[in-house]
Amino acid sequence: MNKELAIRVEGLSKKYTIGKQKDGSLRSSLGNLFSLKNSNSENFWALKDVSFEIQKGDVVGIIGKNGAGKSTLLKILSQITKPTKGRIEIYGRVASLLEVGTGFHPELTGRENIYLNGTILGMTRKEVKTKFDEIVAFSGVEKFIDTPVKHYSSGMYVRLAFAVAANLEPEILVIDEVLAVGDGEFQKKCLGKMQDIANHGRTVLFVSHDIETITTLCSKGILLDKGTIKEIGEIQNIVRTYTDHYQDSFKIWEHDKRPGDNIIKLNKVFIVDSEQNQIYQANIDQKFGICVEYEVLEDDVKPAPNYHFFTNTNTYCFVAILDTEILSKGIYRAITWVPPHLLNNQDYRIGVAFTTQKNVHIHLYEKEIISIKIIENKSIRKHEYGGAIPGTVRPDLKSEIKKIN
Amino acid sequence: MQTKIIDAESSRIIPNFKELYRYRDLFLTLSWRDFRVRYAQTSIGLLWAFLQPVITLLILSLVFGRFVGVKTLVPHLLFTIAGMSIWTYFSYVMANSGNSIIASQEMIKKIYFPRLIIPLSKAVVGLIDLGITLLILIILMIYYGIVPSSHVWLAPFFILVGMIAALGAGIWLSALTVRYRDFQHVVPFIVQIGLYITPIAYPAEFATRQLPKWAAALYYLNPMAGVVQGFRWSLFGGEAPGNLFWVSLVMVLILFISGLFYFHKVEDDMADYV
Repeated sequence: MNKELAIRVEGLSKKYTIGKQKDGSLRSSLGNLFSLKNSNSENFWALKDVSFEIQKGDVVGIIGKNGAGKSTLLKILSQITKPTKGRIEIYGRVASLLEVGTGFHPELTGRENIYLNGTILGMTRKEVKTKFDEIVAFSGVEKFIDTPVKHYSSGMYVRLAFAVAANLEPEILVIDEVLAVGDGEFQKKCLGKMQDIANHGRTVLFVSHDIETITTLCSKGILLDKGTIKEIGEIQNIVRTYTDHYQDSFKIWEHDKRPGDNIIKLNKVFIVDSEQNQIYQANIDQKFGICVEYEVLEDDVKPAPNYHFFTNTNTYCFVAILDTEILSKGIYRAITWVPPHLLNNQDYRIGVAFTTQKNVHIHLYEKEIISIKIIENKSIRKHEYGGAIPGTVRPDLKSEIKKIN
Repeated sequence: MQTKIIDAESSRIIPNFKELYRYRDLFLTLSWRDFRVRYAQTSIGLLWAFLQPVITLLILSLVFGRFVGVKTLVPHLLFTIAGMSIWTYFSYVMANSGNSIIASQEMIKKIYFPRLIIPLSKAVVGLIDLGITLLILIILMIYYGIVPSSHVWLAPFFILVGMIAALGAGIWLSALTVRYRDFQHVVPFIVQIGLYITPIAYPAEFATRQLPKWAAALYYLNPMAGVVQGFRWSLFGGEAPGNLFWVSLVMVLILFISGLFYFHKVEDDMADYV
C-alpha cells in the first residue's frame, strides 16, 4: 500500500528563556530597553534541530527521559506554542490530548461539561450532540450526568474527561501521558479505545514512560534525548535502545556490572505504587515506594539503604536514612514508602546508597540513578488557587481557624 | 483534507478570521458557560454585582443632580441611569475580557484554539446585566412619563459600538497582561477615571463648553464619550451630537482593529508566558 504523509517536521527547534520568562513586569522590560547590558537570563533549547516524517496510519511512540523534550514536541505539534526555528507540515485535523478535562468547570453539570470540553477540543456542538450518548456510555457516569462535576470523585471526573476526548474523530491524535490518572480497569478501556483509533487508519502520536503500553500500541518509535532525536524507526529497536541506555524510571544491572563491594551488590532499583506495581510517575496524593533488590554476600552484616532526593534543577531536597536488621547471605528486596503530599508536582532524581552506619562505611552510592515524576490532578485541590506552586516539597498542612474576637 | 503549515520563519500579519469563524461554537459554549457560572453563584453574589452600580448611580445623581445642580433634558436620575447602563456594560466587559487570558491559562497551556475567542466571549454575559438595567430605565421612563425620541431605533447601534469599544480595550488589555502583569492594575484605574471623563452624570456640552476647541477634541478621544452621548441622544433626543462625536467613533474602530492586530502578534507565544 502506498502510504501518504501525515506529518513532516524539518529542523525544528524550540528555545526557552529561563529566568526572565516569568518576570513579566513592565519595569523590567523598560529596563532592558534602556540598558545595553544583557539581563541575566539563560537560553535553554528544549528541542534542537529535530526532523522526521510520519506516514498516515502510523502509531508512533515518543520516548525519552523526563526532560528530553517530549512534551515540548507535542505542544508544538498541537500548536500550543510556536517553534523558534523550523517548519512543520501537518496533513489532517489534529486533536491533542495533553491533559484530560481541559476547561472543565466544577460548577457545571457533566452534560454541560461534555459540550464545553468537546468544543474546546475543536468539535462543533452538533458533533458533540451526535456523539453524546456514546461519550456518556463510555464514561460510565450516566447517573450523575446532570450533577455538577464538583461533586464527582476524581475517578469519575477523569473517566468523563477521557470519554469526551476519546470520541473525537481526528485524522491525527496527539496524546501525552494522560492515562496515568484513573484506575487500572479504566486505563485498559482507554488503551482499547486508542488501539481502535489506530486500527481505523488514523495517525497517533503517543508519549509514555510505560514501555509495555508503547510496545503493544505503537509500530514506530522516536527516541528523544536532551532535545535531539537519538533514534527513529521500528518500535522494538527504539525500545531496546531506550531500556539499554536511557531508561531511568528503573535500573537493572547485569550480574557482573552490579555496583557494590564484597558485602553487598545492588541488582535492581525501581518504583512501585501501593499495590507494588511498577510505575514511573505518581500522583501527588498517592504514596509510592522505592524498591531495591540486592544481594548480601556475607553473614552478620548491617548494610542499610539511604535515598538522596534531588530536583531536576539539582537542588538537594533531603536524604532518607533507613535502618535494617542484621542480615545473613541471600537476596533481599526492600521497599521504602514515600508518603503522599510530601513531594511537589515535578521531576525528582533519586540516588541510592547502602551504608553500614556504625562505622560509617559506604558500600555503594549510585547518584541520581532513577527518576520519578510527580503529577497532580489540579481539579482535586482543596484550595481555590489554580496556578503553579513552587517549592522542592509540598506538604499538605492543616490549619485551625478560630474566631477570637 | 485540512493541511496546516507551521513555520517559525513566516508569520501572518493578518488575524485568521476564517479559523475564528470555524470555532464559533466554542465562542457560544464559552459565553454560555460564563452565563451559567454567573447565575450558579449565590444570590448574594449577584446582588452585590448590582449593588455597586446602583449605589454609584445614586451618588452621581445626588452629587451632580442635587449638589451641583446639573440641568438636564430629562430628570437627572433618568439621565444618569442611561449613561450608567452602557458605561457599566463597557467596564464589565473590558475588565473581564482584559483578565480573561490570565484566567484561562490552564486551558491555554494544554490545548490549541484561536485565543481571541476567550476575550471575545466575555461580551455576551454582560448583556444580561445591561438588559436588566435597561428594563429599570424603561420603568423609570414610564414613571416620569418620558416618550422615547424618534431616533430610538439607533439605540441598539450605540450598544453595539459600546460592545466593540469594550472588546477593543479588553483585547488590548488581555494581550498586554500576558506579557506585563502590571496591566492588571490598570483596569480599576481606567474605570474610575472613565466614570468622570465620560459624560455620564452631566451632558457632554458641559465639558466641551469649558474647553478650548483642541481640548474638546481631546475629550472625545475617549471612545465612550461619544457612545454614551449618542446612546442617550437616541433615547431622549435633544441636541444632536456635534462633529466631535465622530472622533469617538473613529477611536472605537482604531482601538478595536489595533487590538486585533496586537493580539494576533503575541498570540503564538501566549502559552510560554502565562
